[in-house]
Amino acid sequence: MNNFIAGYLPLFDIYLIHLGLAFSQYIVLRAGVFSLATAAFAGIGAYTAGIFAVSLGLHPAIGLLAGTLTGMGAAIVLSIPLARLQGVYQAIATVAFIQICLSLNIYAEGLTGGAMGLNNIPKTIGTGTLFVFAALATYLIWAIERGRLGRAFNTIRQDEAVAASLGISITRHQMLAFAISGALAGLFGGLEAYHSYALDPNQFGFHLLITTLSYVILGGRNSVVGPLVGAAILIILPELARPLAENRMVIYGIMLIVVINYLPKGIADTAIDAVRARRLKNGGDGS
Amino acid sequence: MSTLKLTNLSKRFGGVVASEDVNIEVPAGKIIGLIGPNGAGKTTIINMITGMLAVSGGEIHVGDIDITHAPAHEICRAGLARTFQNIRLLGEATVLENVMIGFHRHETSATLAAMLGLPSAGRETVEIKERAQVMLKEFDLQDFADYPATGLSYGHQRKVEMARAMAAEPNFVLLDEPIAGMNNVESDALAEVFQRLASAGKGVLLIEHNVRFVAKMCSYVYVLDGGRLISQGTPDHVLSDPAVISAYLGDQQYA
Repeated sequence: MNNFIAGYLPLFDIYLIHLGLAFSQYIVLRAGVFSLATAAFAGIGAYTAGIFAVSLGLHPAIGLLAGTLTGMGAAIVLSIPLARLQGVYQAIATVAFIQICLSLNIYAEGLTGGAMGLNNIPKTIGTGTLFVFAALATYLIWAIERGRLGRAFNTIRQDEAVAASLGISITRHQMLAFAISGALAGLFGGLEAYHSYALDPNQFGFHLLITTLSYVILGGRNSVVGPLVGAAILIILPELARPLAENRMVIYGIMLIVVINYLPKGIADTAIDAVRARRLKNGGDGS
Repeated sequence: MSTLKLTNLSKRFGGVVASEDVNIEVPAGKIIGLIGPNGAGKTTIINMITGMLAVSGGEIHVGDIDITHAPAHEICRAGLARTFQNIRLLGEATVLENVMIGFHRHETSATLAAMLGLPSAGRETVEIKERAQVMLKEFDLQDFADYPATGLSYGHQRKVEMARAMAAEPNFVLLDEPIAGMNNVESDALAEVFQRLASAGKGVLLIEHNVRFVAKMCSYVYVLDGGRLISQGTPDHVLSDPAVISAYLGDQQYA
């Protein structure tokens, strides 16, 4: 039994890291910003943390803090031009931002190791630490969701004219969502750096973008449970389909298509809606 | 008591004149009507007042405060609330949540407290929920609190939107065709609500197609046609004005 758990521990570690990234993606979508820049912020945070440890030999706590702050700073800067764009244009601009970060990373060979990546990062983060940070991130998202900010984000996402007419500052709230997204991505990028010995520039490219977006789309966009469920399914599923070897990504793709078509709100949100509708119906019968 | 005052307000879309030199005053505690045929520019005026359209010329004041070029969310904070011609409720939210968001401008908990879910933020949420429930009761909507807002009947949706606007506790309310598509019973119920607002000291600007309803509700009426005011005065005066009759029914030679 112990062997069994030990065998799956790395998978659980990946889940915890990707959960943070999924929440980073989730919070911007929640506030009505169609940004896909999470992968770039994660890269910025990871490399900052990695360089702090490798080149400067600083304590991991400082590295993580630096990763979080640089992720957040990049997000705040990016949010200024992005506020002028809408919808798909935001998506395209953020994809371009990911490519820019990737290119800069490869050019800045002296600092980042270029295409060879950043190696020999001391592994200082284990499952326990990851679990604590993932739990904190979940709490943060949950707290935002049920308070004033969650209500404002929801309104902006659904109807900007209504939001403005009720006194909600759209630019301020979207910048805040962006800052949170950047900080979360930077933090979990930093955790990834201290957890995996080495960083590769392509790790934070288009593939990570698709992965984090899939977690949120599959799980659900409107409740904290969505990313929790989405990341769990998409990380476990390829493992279950291991006998299919090379073809297992096909299963991944088919499942996304099925879910997007039949459960457009995502698995968790659809389930929550069903429970609510049922409660309402039963309540109606009672009265 | 303050007044909402539009001075020589103009809006041009390129060469198209949507409003020109419009002067309107909405004193506190009064219901003021704004009527006009389709395309007269009524909604344009509301959109300019609420900051959703940039003003091309003229000024808008609430009391002494100039809100002509203020961004939309600050105008709400100056004490203005509106409803929309085509009802705009949040489709993914319940009736209660739709009204709760109306209280946004009175939420004071610190951003950090709201982010970290500190007790102060939690208390505020509970308090706003209670106030929203009271508001729903005032509009006789308490039984629908947990229903998805867009699943309600048309008349009820109108009331939810009204409750949401009232939650902001405005001094001035801009109603864009609030009784369009309603039957008499529903519109009478709303008429009572409007009267209550006015007697509570709020200034109400009522935009309507339904001339009879406006005549019944308003103490003073402005008539807009082609972006210009063509008449103003008491309902009786305005409705017998030949300029108004020809704007609504066409010129006599064609009638």
